[in-house]
Amino acid sequence: MEKEFLTIKNNALSMILDAENNKELDAIRLQFLGRSGKLTIALKDLTKLPDDEKPLMGRVANNTKNVIEDAINRKENELNKKRQTNFIIDITEPGIKPPLGSLHLVTQAIQEITKIFEHIGFTRVRYPEIEWDWYAFEALNFPENHPARDDWETFFIQQDPHPKYGSLVLTPHTSSGQIRQMENSKPPIKMLNIAKTYRRQSDVSHTPMFHQFETLVIGEKISIADLKGTLDFFVKSYFGENRKSRIRPYHFQFTEPSFETDVSCGVCDGRGCKLCKEGWLEIGGAGMVHPNVLKNCGIDPEKYSGFASGWGVERVLMMKEGIQINDLRTLYANNLDFLTQF
Amino acid sequence: MNIRILDSWLREHLRTEASPKKIAELLSLSSVSVERLEKKGDDYLYDIEVTTNRPDLMSIVGLARETATVLSHNDLEATFVKPRLETPKVLEITEKVSITIKSNLTKRICAVVMEVSVKKSPDKIKSRLESSGIRSLNNLIDITNYVMRTIGHPTHVFDFDKIPTKTLNIRESRPKEEIKTLDGKKYILTGGDIVADDGLGNIIDLMGVMGLENSAVTDETKKILFFINNNDPHRIRKTSMRLGIRTEAAILNEKGIDPTLAMDALIHGAELFRDLAEGKIISEIIDIYPDKIKSNTISVKKEKIDQVIGVNIPLDTSAGILRDLGFETKTENGTLLTTPPTFRTQDVEIEEDIIEEIARIYGYHNIPNQLPAVSTQDISPLENNQFYFESHAKNALKYWGFNEVYTYPMVSENLYEGELDKAVTIQNPLNEEFVYMRKSLVPSLLKIVSENKTHEKISIFEIGNVYAKNGQELPLQTQRMAGVVRDKNLSFFKIKGLLENLLQDLGLVDISFSQATDGNGAILKFNNEIIGEIEILDEEIVDFELDFEKILEHATFKKTYKPISKFPPIVEDLSIIAEKNIATGDLMSTIEKQSPLVKEVSLLDKYEDTRTFHIRYQSDKRNLTVKEVGELRKKILVELKRKHNANIKE
Repeated sequence: MEKEFLTIKNNALSMILDAENNKELDAIRLQFLGRSGKLTIALKDLTKLPDDEKPLMGRVANNTKNVIEDAINRKENELNKKRQTNFIIDITEPGIKPPLGSLHLVTQAIQEITKIFEHIGFTRVRYPEIEWDWYAFEALNFPENHPARDDWETFFIQQDPHPKYGSLVLTPHTSSGQIRQMENSKPPIKMLNIAKTYRRQSDVSHTPMFHQFETLVIGEKISIADLKGTLDFFVKSYFGENRKSRIRPYHFQFTEPSFETDVSCGVCDGRGCKLCKEGWLEIGGAGMVHPNVLKNCGIDPEKYSGFASGWGVERVLMMKEGIQINDLRTLYANNLDFLTQF
Repeated sequence: MNIRILDSWLREHLRTEASPKKIAELLSLSSVSVERLEKKGDDYLYDIEVTTNRPDLMSIVGLARETATVLSHNDLEATFVKPRLETPKVLEITEKVSITIKSNLTKRICAVVMEVSVKKSPDKIKSRLESSGIRSLNNLIDITNYVMRTIGHPTHVFDFDKIPTKTLNIRESRPKEEIKTLDGKKYILTGGDIVADDGLGNIIDLMGVMGLENSAVTDETKKILFFINNNDPHRIRKTSMRLGIRTEAAILNEKGIDPTLAMDALIHGAELFRDLAEGKIISEIIDIYPDKIKSNTISVKKEKIDQVIGVNIPLDTSAGILRDLGFETKTENGTLLTTPPTFRTQDVEIEEDIIEEIARIYGYHNIPNQLPAVSTQDISPLENNQFYFESHAKNALKYWGFNEVYTYPMVSENLYEGELDKAVTIQNPLNEEFVYMRKSLVPSLLKIVSENKTHEKISIFEIGNVYAKNGQELPLQTQRMAGVVRDKNLSFFKIKGLLENLLQDLGLVDISFSQATDGNGAILKFNNEIIGEIEILDEEIVDFELDFEKILEHATFKKTYKPISKFPPIVEDLSIIAEKNIATGDLMSTIEKQSPLVKEVSLLDKYEDTRTFHIRYQSDKRNLTVKEVGELRKKILVELKRKHNANIKE
């Protein structure tokens, strides 16, 4: 009897060892442990034994059963593992993507600029792109013969001049928004005006339509220090904390003093290179609002002072790392191979 | 405007130990921008951008004076060496010139006749001029340019023997008068230019802009009329721009030059003719200067200076800066009284101008950075923020696969949609591509689609203004959103669905569509107000354009909470047979209207005359019974039959 159990055990174990898949294993299980399996039948024969042999044979039988069950389970685990490793995904195949278009580079720059200035309490506004001479020039203290008022520099619109506001132009700068803003609201003012602007120029570094962002701050005791601080905040937020800013003397009609604002060159880190002027790149103009401009808008220059800046969106964009586009007109050529890069 | 000068030339009028690099750096910070500093053998070349309000710095003398001040206020020793100018003695007068001037064309004329001999200039003069970007020709021409660079006032020489009348009659040009400039180019004048004629009506100079061939010096010249004319800058600008003659003289003259410099230029020039061209004065020195330039005294309080600059600056420091810059200055009870020099009267007029002078020499880099301590009190709900919703809409389209484009608002005749004579039109367009202010964004977008031939699938959009005349008022400028989709398997319903989702996301829920009058598309309405349209161009291209301002008006964050029903819905699909010309929308609305228990109807399928609708019945208060739904279905079918002659498919 004992020998019979041993034979069953050995047969079972060798078959289990040879099993190659779950199906074969299932068949083995059935063959030995099933209702009419070899072991099951052998167990039934135990009852026929004399009583004194029963306990011993019972233990042998149980042991045989346990050993076979264990072996089957172990083999099953082994086969499962093997199956998983055999089933490999080719992860180099392309992923299935949801649709993704793009925002124009200029929109991206505008969104960034807006966030930066809103963070320090500026309110974004929008004013007309076709504007009266009064807002574009006269109220901004431009003398009658100023070159910017020439046909050569500014686009004029065919329409009879307004008796009070003069001729119609395509805004050559966002500064016209200063006048609209001061007419619309009382100090303190913290304006951010981002808009399309137009000048009669088209070459690799000019497009006849471009974008500017204009700040205007009016309040009591606003100083050059405030302007410098705001500029520096923008430069570090937009270009990076390691960039420096500075202001230099310049000349504009509607600010006094007037400044050119610079940011340290990101390529040479301010040491001077082909892309910059002795380590610096110009961002655009700024200055303290001219008292005549305040007066033109009904604000008392004795009580209030302020600063303004007008910088090019495309310009700051091009100064960003990785976006040196050699022909500015590419921005508005709308080649999809270009647009989809961003 | 830019000026290029050699360091060695500058140092003829500037004594300092400061290095060229230091000079460049400090000038940029406190005066004019040195854009480039270049080593040239043993010398250095500065390339300096001079702002239009500082024509006094377009010269060696002007820059030397300015540099000396800038350096000395940065703890560097520097002195300005004034040019020695002594009025030459006239020994023998053999020639006479008569000069007459009409009205206010010029501010000052200085002139003298000299005997000269023409030759090449010495190397020093040549190299200085050529480094400065001026071609060296012969000693006569070179001297005029050398004087202009040193003193800052343009000068001119005539061949005196070519003016037999010995007369200069300065007047406005008349329309259609013809001239030939000394470079041999012919021009027809439109009138209003400042010209000199010979008294017989023959124009011999286009004053302040360029000399003429008929009076130009040559290698044979024996006598010259050395001529310094200070003109009305506005007329110079007009002439120069109109004729496209952008000589250095014109660029300087249009900025307005201090007339005081005219005599300095004449004296310096006469000396150079004497030294380099064996020059001998043979006429009286003519000086026509009717209205001498005057300077006004400006007063500024110390508090004002400190307030604008944001730093406390001792009044004596301010006074010292101004004196070094050539301003006559005194202090009285905390107030500065200062009079600008003649070369600064044009750009220094008010106290802010004085503050600028003090601040820049004090050093902008010495002023601290601070953020303005003011904030606006205006309440600004995000719901009223057009820029928020604009970004929102742009982002939505981006994530639905659209590429944003920017097109020019000014378009050509071809791209203008509508009657040209009603268009907002540019009076002075750059070229025919940019003449009319667009009335619709769509044509520009379609152009992009046709230009991007290699892309089979295109989805683009733009948000921008369109323009329309508004009588004598400011033209209407309205923001639109437009898009074009090109695809082989394009359906109108993709665009319809896109816009429905977009508008729903902006809070506009009550949207309806009606057939476009020409049948090729749909009109989009919100609360029965037209807000845009969809246009089917062909099987592959559909475009849309929305009045984005109206959409922004209605865009909202408002949300309404409805309790979620605790009772399960009953859903069923009904296949309905109806004439093809009966609108699906009408069938759906008939079904919806039969009971508030009809929670949702959608079109599941459409095949020939059969349309299958998916209907969801649900109550918020109880479980619906099969019997109830059966009755409701019956009601729906009766009504479909009555209104649309539609039957259920058995």
